[in-house]
Amino acid sequence: MIDVFSYVPAIVLLPFFSFLIALGVGRYLPKGGAFGGIAATAGSFLLSLWVLATVAGGEAANRTLYTWASAGGIGPTDVELSFGILIDPLSALMLVIVTLVALLVHVFSLGYMNDEGETGLPRYYAGLGLFTASMLGFVVADNLLMAFMFFELVGLCSYLLIGFHFREPGPPSAAKKAFLVTRFGDYFFLIGVVAVIATFGTAQFAGSESFPALADAALNGSGSVAWTPGGVELQTWLTVVGLLVLGGVVGKSAQFPLHTWLPDAMEGPTPVSALIHAATMVAAGVYLVARMYGFYALTPTTLAVIAFIGGFTALFAATMGLVKDELKQVLAYSTISQYGYMMLALGAGGYVAAVFHLTTHAFFKALLFLGAGAVIIAMHHNEDMWDMGGLKSKMPVTYYTFLAGSLALAGIFPFAGFWSKDEILYEALVHGLNDPLLLGGYLMGLLAVPVTAFYTFRMVFLTFHGEPRSDTARDPEPVRWNVKGPLTVLGALAVVTGFINMVPVQKVLGLEGIDLLHLWLDNHWGGIEGLSSHHYGDIGPYSSGYLVGGEVGTVLVGAVVSLGLALAGLAVAWRLYNVPSPTEHTAKLGGIKDVLYNNYYLDELQVWLAYRTEDVAGGANTFDQGIIDGVVNGVSSVSLFGGGRVRRLQSGVVSQYATLLTLGLVALLLALGVTGGWFL
Amino acid sequence: MVNTLPQIAALLPVFLLAFTGLALLLVDTISPDARSNTSMAVVGALGSLAALAASVWLVVSGTGSGDTGGAITLFAEAIKVDTLALFFTAIFASVTALVVVAAHDYFHDHKSPAAFYSLTLFAATGMGLLAAANSLAVVFVALEMVSLPSYVLVAYLKRDRGSVEAGMKYFLVGALSSAIFLFGISLVYAATGSLLFGGVAEGIGSLDGLAGVAGLGIVMIIGGVAYKTASVPFHFWAPEAYEGAPAPVSAFLSSASKAAGFVVAFRLFTEAFPVGASLAAGIDWVLAFGILAAVTMTLGNFAAAVQEEVKRMLAYSSIGHAGYVLIGVAALSQDGGANGAVMGAAMAHLLVYGFMNTGAFLFVAMAERWGVGRTFEDYAGLARRAPVASTAMAVFMFSLAGLPPFAGFFSKYFLFMGAIDNGFLWLAAFGAVNSVVSLYYYSRVVKALFIDDPASSSSLDAIDVRPTGLYAAVVFAAVATVLLLPGFGPVIETAEAAASALF
Repeated sequence: MIDVFSYVPAIVLLPFFSFLIALGVGRYLPKGGAFGGIAATAGSFLLSLWVLATVAGGEAANRTLYTWASAGGIGPTDVELSFGILIDPLSALMLVIVTLVALLVHVFSLGYMNDEGETGLPRYYAGLGLFTASMLGFVVADNLLMAFMFFELVGLCSYLLIGFHFREPGPPSAAKKAFLVTRFGDYFFLIGVVAVIATFGTAQFAGSESFPALADAALNGSGSVAWTPGGVELQTWLTVVGLLVLGGVVGKSAQFPLHTWLPDAMEGPTPVSALIHAATMVAAGVYLVARMYGFYALTPTTLAVIAFIGGFTALFAATMGLVKDELKQVLAYSTISQYGYMMLALGAGGYVAAVFHLTTHAFFKALLFLGAGAVIIAMHHNEDMWDMGGLKSKMPVTYYTFLAGSLALAGIFPFAGFWSKDEILYEALVHGLNDPLLLGGYLMGLLAVPVTAFYTFRMVFLTFHGEPRSDTARDPEPVRWNVKGPLTVLGALAVVTGFINMVPVQKVLGLEGIDLLHLWLDNHWGGIEGLSSHHYGDIGPYSSGYLVGGEVGTVLVGAVVSLGLALAGLAVAWRLYNVPSPTEHTAKLGGIKDVLYNNYYLDELQVWLAYRTEDVAGGANTFDQGIIDGVVNGVSSVSLFGGGRVRRLQSGVVSQYATLLTLGLVALLLALGVTGGWFL
Repeated sequence: MVNTLPQIAALLPVFLLAFTGLALLLVDTISPDARSNTSMAVVGALGSLAALAASVWLVVSGTGSGDTGGAITLFAEAIKVDTLALFFTAIFASVTALVVVAAHDYFHDHKSPAAFYSLTLFAATGMGLLAAANSLAVVFVALEMVSLPSYVLVAYLKRDRGSVEAGMKYFLVGALSSAIFLFGISLVYAATGSLLFGGVAEGIGSLDGLAGVAGLGIVMIIGGVAYKTASVPFHFWAPEAYEGAPAPVSAFLSSASKAAGFVVAFRLFTEAFPVGASLAAGIDWVLAFGILAAVTMTLGNFAAAVQEEVKRMLAYSSIGHAGYVLIGVAALSQDGGANGAVMGAAMAHLLVYGFMNTGAFLFVAMAERWGVGRTFEDYAGLARRAPVASTAMAVFMFSLAGLPPFAGFFSKYFLFMGAIDNGFLWLAAFGAVNSVVSLYYYSRVVKALFIDDPASSSSLDAIDVRPTGLYAAVVFAAVATVLLLPGFGPVIETAEAAASALF
């Protein structure tokens, strides 16, 4: 039988080859190398489907492919550092999501980049290829160090793509910001990786010798860890390690307070934004927490922090989305907010709910970005929603798919986002009834629901409804199949993806077996021991509490409340903006408006912090220049002076050489002779 | 080795080199006027590649290793083929192949390039023989067999005064050093009564008051080794010869010829003058090598830091590297657990060095071919016109400096680690400080290539040709330098196994 898992590296390598091809010979290819990228991602997608089918058939893989450092090999290390693959239900699902979105983004780029006559296309497609390859490598990684490497590659690619239009002033600065802010988080991640390896002697995710398993055993008292820093209790130390790794997650998944890079990253081409937000960069953070959930489940403090950050970010980002004027800015804040929900779910012990929302969000957010891209093409790259309006009749395909995505984002029944968001809130509620911090996260998440619905439909109404408010909106540029095709696929997915996990229906009606995702992630069809949602639930710290009417009652109350709030938000947006000539209502917000417009002045705060850091750095600089450099300069001037002497010795006269040579030999003879006593 | 072959087949790589040299000479004799630069280069390259293939095959099949019956001795034990010999033959053959390919472009307008190829092959033959020598007499003959073609090669540009002068100086210093070496051999023979390494080792164990004579002889032999490896105080020829010689010859001398000197040192000072017996007899040659290593690396690196010309900088850096490799002999101790490790690391460093240093000199050859000038300033901005070659050069420079992730980092790291394990912390510290100094002048080259602006807009116009052979050799050397990183495991294992077999 053919072993599909031997082809897993090909899933990663195909986009990488398309990167090489686009980089090397892209300028000689038609469409700047787009077809290579489409073929590569299509190939990866098909292979991923095959992997998914195989995993559904009960197989899984946890293999080391290449050990690049080990005891007795390079370096005096007792730790094995390796590359490998870990294919279980989670990574198989993620592979399909990433490859599908990447494929659609490639196709869409034909319309967005090629048809618009952009230059530098080989560079663009090379970036997309490398981006996809890095993310896929991250997804299949079987250990934390490998994950970190690909995590960094993902960051690098986002830098390259956000700054694609590097001749304009905005994009390079946005790219730098994205790179630096996420890098700030990654420093903690790197220290966390080192801490994990130092503590457990391994960074493997799965298996009996993996670090989550070792941590579990050590906490049970049935095992021990290799190292903890002197005097620190094990539980405390594990929490510290978990928080360190979380630093990288907060940066990449744009959680408060490291979210500031993401709105600026809208400077990148829109298909890139779709890729970043739906399937790669931002998803990487949440995926990492899900990947090592067996570790996080052991440290309640970390979970509480994750949940609180998540809930706070969900609400906080949603409020900033309320007042934005540009289409992509609204979507940017919605991304931050939605990833906040996922973090809330993870922190609340809702592992499945988080993966579920990651899945549905990948589809509807990719859809919304691509739809926004279509609008931007139509509007000749004017993104101001106040110049749009009335596009509904001019571009029906875009409108209806965008509407499907918006309904999903707002969490309206029965679209995909409703199911996943509802499950997150439900998990947070039932676990939060015994845990005040978690309950706070839940309440913030709940408050964010109407806000989300409001800004989503404010966006829809301003863009598509009412009267056209500019000439371009009256006569928009038509879009071609390569734009409509991906939109249609994603539109369909945004409607139906929710049905893979209809937990509320199951609980209320008592139907068994329709919570497919739960079964999938619970190794119902097979998987790897210790990586199931059940296992996570067993080792996790939470117990469930219910409101009136037990489980069923709580489900119903939760669903009705969140749906009601979403509809309320939608209704307000309808009332205010679904009119022929909508006007700005932001003035009614008074002083809050400025705060929201300026994103709570967080950018200013970061700049201020950077300047204070600069002051501290100035002190360090003085020390460095005076003392450290003084020593170094001393060494260098001694060596240059000495070198000058030697140079003079090399006079070019052979007889002098012979003399010096002989004298040197004699000196050596004397030294050895005297110490060895030859002349006695 | 496959058992059906006769024992003499263990010398196959050496024979291949010798026959290739003879064939080249024959062709040149029959038709001396034919301008057959290309065919000569092709034959030379094929011959050296065949020798490389043969030695790799012999190593892989376990010839001469302890697992398959031990070393193969030939000609009344005057020749001894073991893994060490084959490992070094592989280094020599690789460098020879690179140099021959690169020389094709370098000598494209030379009147009679044919002799160059045969002389290079003959020198390589001598090196191969040197690696397999088991008798002081064979060592001397083989050493001369390496040296004599080298003198001619350095002076190969007959109309270039620098080249001729360098050849002359090289020859004079070489003659003096050979005399010292030969005198040393005679003294050792007088004290121990044998020329075979095994016999000498026995004699060292029972000197009966002749320790002084043997000691004098050994120090003089150290002198001969120091000459061949360009170590202080026998290094004076090196900067001048490397600078005056055609750049491919400089590459050949500084990589292959130096490695040949070290293989003699490794063999002599493990098999003929074992550490324990020598120390017992009051001959502390470990100290001598320690002094030489420290002085050589310091002098080489410090002098390299103040050079204005790239080629001369490389010449001094090559002296500095000789100092690092000397640690492989200087950090031996009587019951040192890491003896095999440190010597193996030195061998691995020589292999890595063979690629990165040859590549660097070949880049200089390319610059000479373009005629852009010799100083750092003349190299400014070259990356704009020759990005591939400049990138390769940057790889060589960083690898020579010992920066990760290049192969030069690992070999140096193992070398210093081995020295520390054997209790020679001070040598490792010397090496580390010198590596820091070396980073300064290596990065100057990279800075000139990539960052500095050319002196004038027209100064890069000289780069109008793309010499294929030179490019191929430079790129190949760069790829090898990078690929030795993942491939370092097998290399260091082979080297340590070969070195451990000596103790």
